[in-house]
Amino acid sequence: MAILELEAVEKSFPARGGPPTLAMDKLSISVREGEFLSILGPSGCGKSTLLQIAAGLMEPSGGTVRVAGRPVNGPPPEAVYVFQQYGRSLLPWRSVRDNVAFAVEHRPGMSRAKSRAVADAQLEAVGLTGFGDHYPWQLSGGMQQRVALARALAAEPKILLMDEPFSAVDALTRLDLHRLMLELWEKRGLTVVLVTHDVEEAVALSDRVALLTKRPSTIARVVETGLPRPRDAVEVRETPRFLELRHELLEVLLTRGGHAA
Amino acid sequence: MRRERLLGLVPGLAFLALLIAGLEWAVQAGLIRRALMPPPSAIWEVLRDLLTSGEVIGPLVATLRLVFIGFGIGSVVGIALGTAMGWWGAAYRLLEPLVEMMRPIPKAALVPPLMLFLGIGDTMKITSVSLAVTFPILVNTLQGVRGVDRVLLDSARTHGWGTARALWYVVLPAALPFILAGMRTSLGLALIIAVLSEMLTGQGGLGFLILDMQRSFLIRQMYAWLVILALVGLALNALFAWAEARALHWQQRH
Repeated sequence: MAILELEAVEKSFPARGGPPTLAMDKLSISVREGEFLSILGPSGCGKSTLLQIAAGLMEPSGGTVRVAGRPVNGPPPEAVYVFQQYGRSLLPWRSVRDNVAFAVEHRPGMSRAKSRAVADAQLEAVGLTGFGDHYPWQLSGGMQQRVALARALAAEPKILLMDEPFSAVDALTRLDLHRLMLELWEKRGLTVVLVTHDVEEAVALSDRVALLTKRPSTIARVVETGLPRPRDAVEVRETPRFLELRHELLEVLLTRGGHAA
Repeated sequence: MRRERLLGLVPGLAFLALLIAGLEWAVQAGLIRRALMPPPSAIWEVLRDLLTSGEVIGPLVATLRLVFIGFGIGSVVGIALGTAMGWWGAAYRLLEPLVEMMRPIPKAALVPPLMLFLGIGDTMKITSVSLAVTFPILVNTLQGVRGVDRVLLDSARTHGWGTARALWYVVLPAALPFILAGMRTSLGLALIIAVLSEMLTGQGGLGFLILDMQRSFLIRQMYAWLVILALVGLALNALFAWAEARALHWQQRH
C-alpha cells in the first residue's frame, strides 16, 4: 500500500525578468509503506525540492501529494524531515537531550520529565548515551547528525524524509551511519525516502532506487535492488548484484547525464 | 585566566590614577580655579559623606527606578514590535515608515512636548525613557528575527510546532544575541534620558541634584554627584554584561 504518493507534481520558481523556470515537471512516484526508497540524481536536479514538497514544507505549483491517503497541505504528522545541514537544524542554545525532546515536548500530556525520558531513550538508540548534557557544537558532525536522527525518531514518524543526511561527514562515519540507519529502519518498520547523489549509498540501503533527470526534473526510471534483507551496509557492497546495480546506475548518470532514459 | 584579566586592568587604572593626581596638583598649584574645579581630594570628602550618611540612597533610588521601569517597558515594546515586524510582512509594511520617522529624532527632544501632555511627574519621565529605549531594541530585534535560519524554522515545522510556539522557543532565542546588543545600547540611553528629564523637570533624582548644586554654587557637591552618576553607569553596564553572558552561555566559545 502506498503511504506517500506524488502525482504529477510540478514546481516552478519565479525568475527575474522572465517567465518562471520549471524545476520539476509532472513528477509522479508512489512510496510503499515500510520500504526504503532512494532518490538519486545529479547535483542541482531538485532532489531537495522534491523532498520538501513531500514533507509539506514547500508548496508544489501543481499536482497533488498524499500521505496515508490524505492530501498534504502543511507538514503531515506522519512524516519528519531530516536536514542535510544538521548543524543548522539543531537548536544551539539547547542541550542534546533538550534538542531531542523538542520533537515531543509540545504534545498534549507530555511533561518535562516524560519528554526527557523519551529523549534519553532515543539517544540510546542512536548510540549517544551519556551525551545528553552536551551542547551540539561540542559534538562531531557525525554525532550531530545522530542527534538530528534521534530527534526525528522521537516523533515516532511513519515516514522519514532524509535530505542527503550523510553527505557532510567523512567516509568512515558515513558507513557507520549507514549501518545505524539500516538497523533503525528494520527495527521500527519505518518508511524511508532518502535523497542522495551517492550511487553506492542508494544501492546499499534501498529496496528501490528512483533516478531523477536533470531540470526540469522528473523520474527517469525506478530500479528494484532485489538485495537481501536484513543486510549489512558494508558486506552488501561486495555482492555481485550490488556491483551490477552500481555499474548500471553510474552508467546512466554519467553517459546520459541523467536525461530521461 | 582571571588573573590575566585583572592584570590587564592595571595600566588603564594606573593612568586614571595619574590623571587624578595631576588634577589634584594642578588645582593645588593654582593652575585651575578652585571655584570651578575643586581638588579631587575635596570632592572625595563630600562623596564620602554622601555615601556614609546614606544621603545618596534617595536620589539614587529615584533615578534607578526611572531607568529600570522605562527600560523594562521599552524593552517589551521594542521586542514585541520588532518580532511582529520581522515575522509578518504586513506588520512591517504598516509600521516601517512610522519607525523610520521616529527613530532619528533624538529622544531628548521629545521631553518638552511630552511634558505638555503628561506633566512633570513620573509618568512623563518613564514615558520618555521608554521611548528612547524602544527603538534600538526594535531595530535589532527586527534584524535578528529576519536572520533566523530557514532550516531552524523548517525543523520546527516538520515537528509540528505552531507559529506561536516557534516564535517563543525558536525565533526569539535565535534572535537573542541581536536583541541583547540592542538592549545594551538602550541601557545607556535610558540613563541619559532619565537624568535629562530630571534636569528639565527640576524634580528629584541624580539629574536634578547635579543641576541644583551647580545653580547653588555647591561645586564640590556637584562633582560628587557626578561621580556617583558615573559609578551608576559603570554598575549598570557591568550588570548587563553579566546578565548577557548568562543568557548567551550556549554560544560557542573558542
